[in-house]
Amino acid sequence: MTAAVATRPRLARVTSSPSLRLIGKRVLMAVPILLGVSVLTFWVLNLIPGSAAQQLLGAEATPEQIRALEQQLGLDRPAPVRYLQWLGAAVTGDLGTSMVSGQPVTGLLGDHLAVSGELLALAFLFSLGAAVPVALLAAFRPHGWFDRLSMLVSITGLSVANYVLALLLVLVFAVNMAVFPAIGFIPLSESVGGNLHSLVLPALGLGIPLFCMYTRFLRGDLVDQLQGEDYITTARAKGIGPWRVLLLHAFRNSAFGLITVVGLNLGTLIGATVIIEQIFALPGLGQLLLQAINTRDYVVVQACVVLFAVVTVAANLLADLLYAVLDPRIRYGSR
Amino acid sequence: MRPRAAKRVPSTRASLIPAVLSLLLVATACGSGGGAVDARPSGPPQRGGELTVLADASFGGGWPTGLDPATNTTGGANISQMFAVYGGLFQLRARNDDGSGAEVVPHQAESYELLDGGRNVRITLREGLRFSDGTPMDAEAVAFNLRRAMSSPCTCRPAWPLADNGVSVEDPRTVVLHFTRPYGAAINSMPTSNANWIASPTALRQLGEEAFKITPVGAGPFVVESNKLSSELVLKRNPDYFEPGLPYLDKLTFKSIGGDQPAYQALLAGQAQAYEGLNTTPLLEQARSSGRLVVTAQPPTSPYVVQLNTEAAPFNDKRARDAIYAATDFRAISQGLFRGQYPVSQSFTGAGGLFHRDTVEGYPPHDPARARQLVAEMGGLTVELGTLGNYVAQQVMTALQTQWQQAGIKVNVHKYELSTLVQQFNSGKWQSMLQTAGAWDPASGVGVAFRFNSASPFSGVSDPALDELLNSAAATADPAQRQALYDQAGKHISANAYAPFGLAFAPANLATEGVHGPGLTTKIPPMLVNSGILWDEVWRERQ
Repeated sequence: MTAAVATRPRLARVTSSPSLRLIGKRVLMAVPILLGVSVLTFWVLNLIPGSAAQQLLGAEATPEQIRALEQQLGLDRPAPVRYLQWLGAAVTGDLGTSMVSGQPVTGLLGDHLAVSGELLALAFLFSLGAAVPVALLAAFRPHGWFDRLSMLVSITGLSVANYVLALLLVLVFAVNMAVFPAIGFIPLSESVGGNLHSLVLPALGLGIPLFCMYTRFLRGDLVDQLQGEDYITTARAKGIGPWRVLLLHAFRNSAFGLITVVGLNLGTLIGATVIIEQIFALPGLGQLLLQAINTRDYVVVQACVVLFAVVTVAANLLADLLYAVLDPRIRYGSR
Repeated sequence: MRPRAAKRVPSTRASLIPAVLSLLLVATACGSGGGAVDARPSGPPQRGGELTVLADASFGGGWPTGLDPATNTTGGANISQMFAVYGGLFQLRARNDDGSGAEVVPHQAESYELLDGGRNVRITLREGLRFSDGTPMDAEAVAFNLRRAMSSPCTCRPAWPLADNGVSVEDPRTVVLHFTRPYGAAINSMPTSNANWIASPTALRQLGEEAFKITPVGAGPFVVESNKLSSELVLKRNPDYFEPGLPYLDKLTFKSIGGDQPAYQALLAGQAQAYEGLNTTPLLEQARSSGRLVVTAQPPTSPYVVQLNTEAAPFNDKRARDAIYAATDFRAISQGLFRGQYPVSQSFTGAGGLFHRDTVEGYPPHDPARARQLVAEMGGLTVELGTLGNYVAQQVMTALQTQWQQAGIKVNVHKYELSTLVQQFNSGKWQSMLQTAGAWDPASGVGVAFRFNSASPFSGVSDPALDELLNSAAATADPAQRQALYDQAGKHISANAYAPFGLAFAPANLATEGVHGPGLTTKIPPMLVNSGILWDEVWRERQ
């Protein structure tokens, strides 16, 4: 009885925590989003002209062979029935088996996710790790030589398509200088050094355009803050040095925008991995998705798209949580 | 042969950046120019070493359904992987390094015999053949595989007129195929079909189909070490391979890559030593002048053809077909787009194929004036032209559109995926399709009947006389008689203006210096698309 009385206020404290309420709200919002994505994906896949069984069997397949395979794969059932069956299994963690290889999709995603996850993490690490100091330096003296140089580099990087950049990186660093491999992936379990070595060029191929975008965005926002905000004037009036104003005041405010951009970028970045993984022959999710599209492996395509949606929703949730960490008003629920 | 077998950009200036970078890319790639590399080995073949082979993810680098011959659905694209694992009952070899004198010869089979004018084929196996799991590769194992192959969903299953219970075992080394009618092309069709790959029935039973397709067991030169579907296949030397001293390599790895450009760069970077099936013509020229790669352009066997649907308007009117023949100049296309490196054919076999003739008597010449006159007579002509998307096909389609428009023909072009292309054929409403026709042997694989036989859903022709010619040519075992029948079929197609033939294209193979092997650095005509590289004889010079 005493324990129950003691637990209730703790529970009340937990449920009244603004941060936890925020997480709860976001998680609840994710459910209809993911459902919407899965319905939309299923619907779009069904709109694609041509038969999946035909694609699997090839041009010479007879109508009887195609019908038999459609029955075997359950493609002869109405689309809503197939969707509900898929959804029922998916909520239990069973994403079905590949129509082409017969392998469990959950296992396939697991194998490929490790490669793409590591690639994305390295690309973010590089792009943010480089963009923040460059943007700070550029914003410290706007229109100075460093700012101009960083603008030139950023615009160049933003103007070049990922695949051109990737091929250029290979030509310079793999073909001509022979310092990094052009293709292939060494798993972490085999060699940590080898793993990082094999992912440098793909991560740069993905990360350089991001670095350019983050640099331009953060530099612009910092300059706006430094030139037009009252709190900056107040800080300067208090005699705080320019670097402290930049780092402790302006940057903290500008970080919000950067976090938003990073969160929103993840979806685009996943799209870019499809190309990068092809160029560098990396066995990641992008490669899996492309192969699945080419072979009309709807089950794998559906699972990949839903996984991408989960990752994007999770990234945005993380961004919301970071706002709470950076801004006490959000943390304590003030308006 | 064997030793030699060898974010928005605010200014115009900024928008130039990608263009400048592209030029830089090409310049960097060309910068290492050094001319052609000598493909000849410096000495006899050497044992040992490893080799990584790249293949385009969209063709040879895709094996999504695994490597069980009976359940693989991309067999025609995976001949290399299959050969490496299974070896093959028969193989296509060229007597000369330029690809001439090619013939299908027994490999794991010791000999074959056509009986009763081609109604039965007796195949005798070599003595003492064993799968890499130690079980015997005998006639029972071969018969088991042939029956499985016949019920396969793969387009690579044999198109034999096999009788009921048409596979019998005479003795432990002899299998007999029984056909419902004479079929002289049976042996020539072997290397393109999954019947050629003999899997261990014991391993199949023990592993089950799902596991077997990942780690298949055959009697070929290599044994599967690991297999990530459509990504990486690692093979190691089979110490019990029946050919003494072969394979030369200790390890062979197939890697899937996203296209010609990344593959080319990976070779230059030394990450791989071979690439199968280069299609991008500008890269071919670049590779030749790089001074670092051996480029082997294979003798083409399957020419492009503009299939015309003679069953529907407008090509049910012979004048429309004649107008297309007269408006088409494939020689100009070959010269203009591909610097003449792909010879133009007037019939269904390219220069590297069997029964090829450089010209067909009475083949309608390019005559734009006549085309314009025919179009005027018909009161105008609008044509829908489609093709599957690949570099050469799309270039050719665009050129055809230009030529036809110059003759007053209005042309709408369409690029299809395989499934939508098949839908077009099945609808019967298609008008013209740029496709490839033929194979090394016109009766095997996606041969001439596939495009011209009345019963084929992919044919635009319904002509019993042509059917008879093609069936007879496939039936007879006498090469002279086959040649005569195919000559007649070529003339018949031309006289009826069924389909103008075009340039015969074959992909090229790339290898780094010091790598040698038949089909890789010497020429072997492609049976279907890529050449059958004889991986057991591929070797590397020690550095």
